[in-house]
Amino acid sequence: MELIDLFSMREAFNRQSVILCFNGPISRSLIEEIGNALRNYLEADNTHPSAAMDVFSVYIEMTQNIRHYALHKGWAEPDSSATVVVANDGEGQYLVSAGNLVEQEDGEVLMLKIAELGTQDKTQLKALYKEQLRKPRDAGVSSGAGLGLIDIARKARHPMQATLKKLDDGRAFVSLSVAI
Amino acid sequence: MKDFSISGTQSSPAIQGNWDGGVLSMQGDSYPENSYDLFSQVFEWVKSFLKESDRPLVLELQLLYLNTSSIKALMDILDMLEDAHQSGRAVSVNWRYDQRNERVAELAEEFKEDCTFPFTIIGQS
Repeated sequence: MELIDLFSMREAFNRQSVILCFNGPISRSLIEEIGNALRNYLEADNTHPSAAMDVFSVYIEMTQNIRHYALHKGWAEPDSSATVVVANDGEGQYLVSAGNLVEQEDGEVLMLKIAELGTQDKTQLKALYKEQLRKPRDAGVSSGAGLGLIDIARKARHPMQATLKKLDDGRAFVSLSVAI
Repeated sequence: MKDFSISGTQSSPAIQGNWDGGVLSMQGDSYPENSYDLFSQVFEWVKSFLKESDRPLVLELQLLYLNTSSIKALMDILDMLEDAHQSGRAVSVNWRYDQRNERVAELAEEFKEDCTFPFTIIGQS
């Protein structure tokens, strides 16, 4: 097995102010456990209760979206994995990022939706949210571009950043980053 | 008759239904992966109460963080209350929250926007 260069990892993490990261199959209980670690960190860091709730909320919506997507696709464990990183710049801003495998077409739909949400102001996002809230339960679930995504957009300080990297087998890796 | 009680977990609220008193209470965070499993029984209880009695129903809420799945589920319940109110039934909601976290009040306010029955949001220290 390749030797792990912990020092390089540490340097990279410190440079980007990473406080929490995870890579691998993401189960429901793992989402909760990591969520706990995040909550404890936020409390220890004396984050304002409403800001802490926003960070936690974005983390939950992102990871649960990834879970729902993988379940919906009927993918087995290795493919239903996530890469999740939370960073804290030390000046009251958190960056929550998550990435996962998707079908290329689903990834493209998601990228369009994210770009579109990025052009909306608070009032427009609220209207979109209320509209989506009243749609039938499964609408938007396949691309993950439903209520959860709009909720994330409403809590974000700046427009969400997303990337889509095409892979060889018709799939792609999508990543989403949100500043709170 | 049909009282019920669901224990809270880390990710789901404690819920109590008091049939004789006409009170449905919920406390805590709600972020289960599938809120439908949890809330469908609550929905059915409220539906039965509204159908089988003509007494007032009060929702006593001390909910905190709700994921979007839970928000949808709660909205379904509140819509049912709104319909009952439109038909002349006495229904109301009281939502208590810790004043230090205005997000909870904001969430409650957004639910309140779609309701015309008494909906009180109470900040506590």
